[in-house]
Amino acid sequence: MTRATDDIIIRTVARILIPFIQLYALYVIMHGHHSPGGGFQGGVILGASFILYLLTHGLEEAKTRMSEVKATLFSSIGLLIFSGIGLLCLILGSNYLDYGELSTILKVIPAQARSLGILGVEIGVGIGVMAVMFSIFFDISTGGSIPNDGENLGERDE
Amino acid sequence: MNSFFLFQGMGLFALVLLCLYRGAFGPGVLNRIAGICAIGTKTLVVLLLMGFIYDRVEMFVDISMVYAFLNFIGTITAAKYLERKGELP
Repeated sequence: MTRATDDIIIRTVARILIPFIQLYALYVIMHGHHSPGGGFQGGVILGASFILYLLTHGLEEAKTRMSEVKATLFSSIGLLIFSGIGLLCLILGSNYLDYGELSTILKVIPAQARSLGILGVEIGVGIGVMAVMFSIFFDISTGGSIPNDGENLGERDE
Repeated sequence: MNSFFLFQGMGLFALVLLCLYRGAFGPGVLNRIAGICAIGTKTLVVLLLMGFIYDRVEMFVDISMVYAFLNFIGTITAAKYLERKGELP
């Protein structure tokens, strides 16, 4: 599953399609509050684009774009953004994830602060879900153990 | 005009049943994969027709695009799994 495919059609179609999938995922994340979608759905689409890259270009090439270390780092960063905005609201003297209080540090009216707050939370959720999706697929497709050289990948399948 | 889209959707649904037969009883795995992929394509068009019926095309276009992406990735995954299996000694 993690070997690069030899078919030039699949490689070329994936290479052309992946930037558009990622752009569409960013659109879904950004427009989450007035169209279907949101942080989780956009993150899933963004993760699916990386999964498509791993499927078509192989494990070795995918590790140069998004390695396991980077996926763990991105999931932690996404959770940090999400909970950081919530805790910032808590520190400013309101409830957890009550974005109206952010107007004092963003210098905007509370309605705009609520819109910006939910946007920030959705960006955090999107990054986290993307990294966790990719990490789950990474673990499953390599059988739980990530080989160092990738030479013995063919023997893992029974 | 709504009934036109409705009957169009019903016709596509009948075609989905035909593809489902091919996916369930089809001889061989490749026929099953092709049947499921065709079901995905027809579902995409049915979603767009639903958008026309409910007068919210811009919302259903988003959903059907996601459906197309995920259908593409799922088909490639299934095909690649079979390619891997075929090489075993």
